[in-house]
Amino acid sequence: MNRKKGLTLQKKKLLTGWFFVIPATAFIFLFSFYPMLQAFILSLHRGVGQNLSWNGFANYTRILKDRVFFQTMRNTFVYLIIQVPIMLLLALILASVLNNRSLRFRGLFRTMIFLPCATSLVSYSMIFRSMFANDGFVNTMLRGVGMAPVGWFQSGTAARAVIIIALVWRWTGYNMVFYLAGMQSIDYALYESAKIDGASVFASFRHITVPLLRPTILMTAIMSISGTLQLFDESVNLTNGGPGRETMTMSHYIYNTSFVQSPNFSYAAAVSVVILVMIAVLSFIQMKVGDKRD
Amino acid sequence: MNRKIAAAVLAGVMAASALAGCGSAGAGGTAPASAAPEDTAAAETEESVAEETAGASADANSLTVWTWDPAFNIYAMKEAEKFYQKDHPDFKLNVVEVLSDDIETKITTAASSGDLSTLPDIFLMQDNSYQKYMTNFPEVFTDLTDSGIDFSKFGEGKRAYSTKDGKNYGVPFDNGAVIAAYRTDYLEQAGLSVDDFTDITWDQYIELGKKVKEATGNPLITSQSGSPDLIMEMLQSCGASLFKEDGTVNIVGNEQLLKALDYYRQMVEAGVLVEVTDWDQYIASIQNGTVSGVVNGCWIIGSITAATDQSGKWAITNMPRLDGVTGAVNYSNNGGSSWAVCTATKNKELAIDFLNGTFGSNVEFYEAILPSSGAIATYLPAGDSDVYSKPQDFFGGDAIYSKIIDFAGKVPSNITGAYYYDARDAVGVALSNVIQSGADLEAELQTAQDTVEFNMGG
Repeated sequence: MNRKKGLTLQKKKLLTGWFFVIPATAFIFLFSFYPMLQAFILSLHRGVGQNLSWNGFANYTRILKDRVFFQTMRNTFVYLIIQVPIMLLLALILASVLNNRSLRFRGLFRTMIFLPCATSLVSYSMIFRSMFANDGFVNTMLRGVGMAPVGWFQSGTAARAVIIIALVWRWTGYNMVFYLAGMQSIDYALYESAKIDGASVFASFRHITVPLLRPTILMTAIMSISGTLQLFDESVNLTNGGPGRETMTMSHYIYNTSFVQSPNFSYAAAVSVVILVMIAVLSFIQMKVGDKRD
Repeated sequence: MNRKIAAAVLAGVMAASALAGCGSAGAGGTAPASAAPEDTAAAETEESVAEETAGASADANSLTVWTWDPAFNIYAMKEAEKFYQKDHPDFKLNVVEVLSDDIETKITTAASSGDLSTLPDIFLMQDNSYQKYMTNFPEVFTDLTDSGIDFSKFGEGKRAYSTKDGKNYGVPFDNGAVIAAYRTDYLEQAGLSVDDFTDITWDQYIELGKKVKEATGNPLITSQSGSPDLIMEMLQSCGASLFKEDGTVNIVGNEQLLKALDYYRQMVEAGVLVEVTDWDQYIASIQNGTVSGVVNGCWIIGSITAATDQSGKWAITNMPRLDGVTGAVNYSNNGGSSWAVCTATKNKELAIDFLNGTFGSNVEFYEAILPSSGAIATYLPAGDSDVYSKPQDFFGGDAIYSKIIDFAGKVPSNITGAYYYDARDAVGVALSNVIQSGADLEAELQTAQDTVEFNMGG
C-alpha cells in the first residue's frame, strides 16, 4: 500500500527499515516495557491477589526502613565490587593470550573456557554446593595437602567467597568471547610492528589491546554490573542466602517477599523498581566515564 | 567496526535469550487439560508426561491431583484411586508430581492473577502453610465443613491447621508427630539403651549425648544449619509458638524460645549436635551411620528405613522435653499435610466424594497404604487397626506405628497464622547468626521480632 509512484528512493529505504524494526520493537514493548509499566503501577498499591488498593508511594518509603533490604543490598554490592573487576580482568588476559596466533590448540582452549557458560545456573550452583560441602571435594583436597578444612557455608565471608568463585568460573569465558570478538577487528599487524619495535607483551596489551577494546570493555562492564545486581540463582541454590542472610541478594529477597514470606507483591515490585533505577544510574555513570569518543 | 561487531554479538545474545524465554514459556502450562484418554493402559505411562502442569480435569469422571512424593503421598493417592474404582469403575485419577514449594508458588501466581483454571482439582498442602494461604487466598479453598466428611474422626490438633473461622478447608492426611530414633548398637557401646532416652529432659539428653560421643565419636543428632526445625519442635512441645493468641509476634521475651535456642547452643558446644550444610547431607548422616540418633517428624522413618543394612539397629521413643517449663511434654509435631479441594474444580461433588470415600472414612485403605509408604494416618479409627500394632523388624520388633499414633494424640497444638514462615525464617536467621557468628542472642531475637513486625506492617 506504500508503493505509490511518488516515493523517493530515500523514503523507500526508510520504509524498509521501519518494516524490519517494527516487529521486534512491538515484541519488546509488549513483553518487556508493558510488564515493567504494570510492575510500577503494582508497586503503588497494597494488598494481596486481586484485592489491591491504592497506596501511593508508601511502598517506597517503606523500603527506606527495611533493614533486610539494606543487608541484601550490601551483600550484592560486595559481589559487584569484588567479582566484576576480577572477572573482567581475567577475561581480558585470557582473551589476549588466546588471541596469540602462534598458540597451538587455540580453539580447544577457547571452547574449554567458554564451556561453563553452557551449563545451567541451577545445576552448576548445586555442583558447587556439594563441592564446598563440609566433607565435599574442596575440603578433601585441603585435608590432602595438610590444611584444615573450612566450613564454607558456616561463615558469611567464606560463603560469599564461594559465590564469587562460582561466579568467576561461570562468567569469565562468557566475557572472554566478547573480547575475542572485539580483538578480531584489531589489525594483527599492530602487534607485529609493536613486537619489532621491542614492545613487551604487557606494553602491547596496555597500549594496543585495552584502548582499542574500550567499547567492548564498556559493554561487558555494564552487562556484568546489571547481571550482578540481578543475581538470583546462585544465592538461592548455592547458599540459600545463608548463613543467616549473609549471602542473600536483592533479587532473592524480592522472590522471598513474594513466595516464601506472606506474599506482598506490590512491595516486591517497589524493590524491583529501585533495583532498576540503581542499574540505570550505574550504567549512565559508566557510559559517561567510559566513553571517550567525543 | 568495533561497535558493529559488539552490536552484532549483543543482538545475537538478545535473540538467543528471547528464544530461550519463548521456549520455556511454551513448554509449561499449555498441556491440554482434557487429555484424559480412553485407553487407560497407555495413559498409565503417559499421563505424568503429557499433563505435566495441566489444570483441573474437564472430564466428568476424572480428577487431577498435585502432590509430591512418589514413595509416599503419590503412592497413597494411586492406591486411593484403586479403592474408589471398586465402586466407580469409570473413575480416573491423574496424579501429577509437583513439589510442595512449587504447588505453593503456583497457587500464589494463579490466585494473584485471578485465574484459577491452571490449578488442579485436589492438591496436597503442608499443614504449616494452610493458615498463610487460607488468609491470603481464601478464594482457592473449597469449604468442606458440610460436605459429609466426618472431621471429628481426625485428631483435633491436626484438624486445627486447615480450619479457619470454624470452617474446615482440608482433609487431614499424614502424621507429623515427632519421634526420637536412636541407633541401639551405638547406644550399647556407651552402655546405654533406648529406655535411658525415654521420657527424658534436654539436660539429660545432653549428658547422655556426651557419653555416646565419648564411646563412639559420633554426635547424637545432626541438624541442617540455619534450619529452625528443631527449635520449632521444642516450642510446640510446650504448646508455645512465635505468635500470641491475638496474632502479634512473640519472639522477644518468649521464655520457651529462649530456652530452646539455649539448649541448641549447649548441644553444639558439647559436640552432641553437629550442623550439616544441607538436607542431602542431613539424610546422608542418618544413612551412613555418622550420627547416633534423629529427632524429627515421623515421616523421617522413610529415610531411616531406606538404609536397609541398618535393619534391627534402630529404636524409636519420644523426644526430650524442656525442663522447668510449664506444660512441657515429650511430644511435638513437625510437618504433615492435608488435602484441599480447589474452588476451580468442575467436579466438586466427585472430588469430595472421592476424598470422603478414601482418606475421609476408609480404614481398609489406610491399612493398605501403611506397610509400603509408612504414611501414618491422622484418621483416628485407623489407629486401632491390627496393621498398626504389627511388630517392625527394622526397629527391633517394636510396634512403632501404634506407638506413634499414641504420641500424636499427646501433641500440644500451636498457633501458625499467615506470617508463620516469616517468623520461622527470622528465627532461623537468628539461630544461624548466634551459632555460626557468635552473635548476641537477645539482640538477634530483637532483630527477628522487628523483621517479622516489619513484614506484617506491609
